Amino acid sequence: MNQSIHVRISTDPLNIQDAYDYVIDPAHGAVDVFIGAVRNHHEGQDVQGMTYDVHEVLAEKTFMEICQEAQKNWDGIKVYMSHYNGQLDIGGISVIIAVSSAHRAESFEACRYCIEELKKRSPIWKQEHYEHGRSEWLPGHSLKEAVGE
Amino acid sequence: MAKITIHIKFFGAFRKFGEGLDFSVPTGSTITAVKAVIQDKLNGESLVMNSALANDNTILRDSDVLNDNADLSILPPVCGG
Repeated sequence: MNQSIHVRISTDPLNIQDAYDYVIDPAHGAVDVFIGAVRNHHEGQDVQGMTYDVHEVLAEKTFMEICQEAQKNWDGIKVYMSHYNGQLDIGGISVIIAVSSAHRAESFEACRYCIEELKKRSPIWKQEHYEHGRSEWLPGHSLKEAVGE
Repeated sequence: MAKITIHIKFFGAFRKFGEGLDFSVPTGSTITAVKAVIQDKLNGESLVMNSALANDNTILRDSDVLNDNADLSILPPVCGG
């Protein structure tokens, strides 16, 4: 694995300290961390939890591609990208992206790039759970667009 | 006409149909043709045509052709994060 990129799909709880420890670097004065968490509402409905489904092999491959693109756009950054696979309660951490760089602008911009591309391109799905045992898979971005169709 | 065996693994919204599907198609079938078979077997599920088929290495184009047995996944629109 590229020594400045770490990607992982995990069925264990995600750990913010792990992300920081990976990207921290003596030459880097900035670390930007994005944390995605399960919220208790969506479009007027009370949400009680979330189940994530992931095509792990392809997801890690897309993570690596996205991180490599970020490194091309923002030279010298280190990137950590991890996503949870399984069921989470409200407040549970679904994704952590950490980016370090010499100065803050690159970290902010690259971290934003990584989460936005992940949401559009990585084979990950969310099933929201509501009251009375009702659940619904959420709509999203068609991967046909990712191959130009 | 020679046939190949296709195994399709379900993800996301397709999980309601179980773990996956197995069926045969003529050798040289396109991904579009394979998706039509899946849609037929899933009672016309409209989500099929807005989904992508993939192997463990890449997402396949609708015009790609299958000449060998294949283990594929059907990937509905994604929404990670």
